[in-house]
Amino acid sequence: MSKNSQDLSLAKLETRDLKAIYGKVQALKGINLRFPENRVTAVMGPSGCGKSTLIRCLNRIHELTPGAKVEGEVILDGVNIYAPNVDPVAIRRRIGMVFQKPNPFPTMSIFDNAVAGLKLNGVRDKKKLNELAEKSLRMAFLWDEVKGDLKKPGTALSGGQQQRLCIARALAVQPEILLMDEPCSALDPIATAKVEESIFELKKEFTVIIVTHNLQQAARVSDYTAFMYLGKLEEFGETARVFENPQSELTEKYITGKFG
Amino acid sequence: MSNMQRLLDAGLEELTVLVYKMGGVAEKALAISLGGFIDGKDVSKDVHELAEILVNRTVEVEEKAFGLIARYQPVASDLRIINSYMKVAYDFERYGRYGWDISFIGTRFNGKTINCDKWIFDYIGKLAEKVLEMVRVSISSLRKLNPELVKTMTQAEDSVDKAYFEYLDKLVEQAGVTNECTISSVLVVRYLERIADHAMHIMEAVVYIATGEKVTLR
Amino acid sequence: MERTDLPLGISLWRKIVNRLMFILIIVAVLLAVVPLILILGDVAIKGAPAINIDFLTHLPTGPTFSGGGIASAVAGSFTMVGLAALISVPIGVGAGIFFSEWSSSKLSTISGFMNDVLTGFPSMVIGLFVYIIIVLNTKHYSAFAGAVALSFIMLPIVARTTDESLKLVPNTLREASMALGVPRWKTIFRIVISTGKTGLLTGVVLAIARATGETAPLLFTAATSTYYITNLFTQPTGSMTVLIYNYATSPYATWVTQAWGAALVLILIMLGLNLFVKIVIGRNLTEARME
Repeated sequence: MSKNSQDLSLAKLETRDLKAIYGKVQALKGINLRFPENRVTAVMGPSGCGKSTLIRCLNRIHELTPGAKVEGEVILDGVNIYAPNVDPVAIRRRIGMVFQKPNPFPTMSIFDNAVAGLKLNGVRDKKKLNELAEKSLRMAFLWDEVKGDLKKPGTALSGGQQQRLCIARALAVQPEILLMDEPCSALDPIATAKVEESIFELKKEFTVIIVTHNLQQAARVSDYTAFMYLGKLEEFGETARVFENPQSELTEKYITGKFG
Repeated sequence: MSNMQRLLDAGLEELTVLVYKMGGVAEKALAISLGGFIDGKDVSKDVHELAEILVNRTVEVEEKAFGLIARYQPVASDLRIINSYMKVAYDFERYGRYGWDISFIGTRFNGKTINCDKWIFDYIGKLAEKVLEMVRVSISSLRKLNPELVKTMTQAEDSVDKAYFEYLDKLVEQAGVTNECTISSVLVVRYLERIADHAMHIMEAVVYIATGEKVTLR
Repeated sequence: MERTDLPLGISLWRKIVNRLMFILIIVAVLLAVVPLILILGDVAIKGAPAINIDFLTHLPTGPTFSGGGIASAVAGSFTMVGLAALISVPIGVGAGIFFSEWSSSKLSTISGFMNDVLTGFPSMVIGLFVYIIIVLNTKHYSAFAGAVALSFIMLPIVARTTDESLKLVPNTLREASMALGVPRWKTIFRIVISTGKTGLLTGVVLAIARATGETAPLLFTAATSTYYITNLFTQPTGSMTVLIYNYATSPYATWVTQAWGAALVLILIMLGLNLFVKIVIGRNLTEARME
């Protein structure tokens, strides 16, 4: 218990009674969660538990869907990102996201994709762009594979490489938090392993929150695990403990494969 | 929530049956060997057979357990069970080994029946009963996964330890005890203390499986 | 069912039906295509004699003179279609963006419906409408009026094709851009439109092709003229289509032949535009689809 309270004070991002609605369906029913800084937190649960909705609320992407509403608070460094005078665009520059299916911009080269977030926001300094492109491609473990020809279209890469390009793209804007929505579910095992390797390195600089339905992946890469069920938070704790000795029976049933 | 059969479950069942059977064999080995010592019978051959079975079974349990881990990457209670069964199998193997050691003592002195005074046989007989009871409780607790008997077992182990040291004290003071008697009785009492220790180790595993807590009861 | 019960090979009956259907389909295709070929052939045969340098570069002359051409009509068509494009493309693309990116709003649904109604509007009625509001008020036939009428024809086409091209852009690209902290308008212009630009271009070119071939809206807005225009707002302007109408309905043989010639030129322009779309833009589309 003392370990948890130590990390609680270092929570980078926190949700307070977070509720989310899609039209008539209430996807999140009041979530209270603290994401520790510079750690990887996995969010898992059966389909429909609200895990994707949760992270889409963290960078205010959820509200872009027609009919979507959010209540409650999400606190980033002491500020509620849903406060009325907060600019969602500015928030999204501090909280980046990688999606389930790789989605590099088809009209751009590898280099342009990597620095897309910077270029589109007006950064012109060529030196800076080159630096950040290389840095973020290295962090995504893609640099060695593409440095030979950065002008190739982004879509000419394999699925795993495209996903790492998307990771680099998200990292180039230098966010503080990286959200990953099932980043490996469209990838083969080798590509998955490469992405997991990069996640391991990423937590040195960033706070990572990863949604995954792959239990072994959560066990491999995360420091903390949150288990969700039907829009509620069932359990949260250090991954080693949750996987060795879950407190909630639902958690136990889910991770041992007895349902979901 | 369905109780669907997972692939892991079939393997777990096999593993469990194996471990339970081992428990039965171990208990038998101890009962026979202790009885043989008290009654002065040579049971070493039978007990040896049983001990051999336990050695082989331990290897089987290990292989099965590792196979399940490698294939199914079990977590939570499944992982705790598999982990614990591997340890418990070793404890059962030790039961068998000690049983054989005890049965061997009877034949050590060229088949000469060990002539100890009655009080020694009584003492050891009582101690043996206590320890055998602990062995039985350890096996049944494993089957039922009820850690509630931990308290009684801890008390039992304490008294076994006490009895062990008391016997040594008594023996030192007693005059006229033959060498064979001294050596064999001390060895047997020592083995009994070790057996009790392993019984507690099994109880620790029971607590771990049931609650996830790692305790030291010894 | 035993394995041995499954028949090997296709029954004769099925073979016959297959062949019959195939033949029927070929016949249908021919029936659809043949009229086009006949028209092209007819126009080509009747119009070819009229084509020569003079035809393409001289102003129209009276029916008894030789050396007359359709130059001013060609210039007039290009001017008015160009002007119409200038008006309708920005508005149409803007409307298309609205339909696509704000498709959930009620305004979008209602105006989208109205847009579709405008697509099928009788071009004669459009011409009449522009006649009333512009020609009667300015007291002039003009290229401007003609262009406005044509823009009414082009606008809904551009809007609808823009909408559909942008809708084809996967939503995940929009989300990726927004997630980088790119504001919405930038996402639309730099990402969505950039990705859907081939479809957009196709729509514009097709709208231009359509407008080039329109006659009715020009009849009472630009009327006719045999001269190059110098003022967009006060002079009636000739166009290829109206010239064809006038010459073809005249009793003079020379003019009739010239009408066929003009028709041939018009058809060649239309074919050219369509081929351009197919080959140049179509290639890009196929490349994009293969990724």
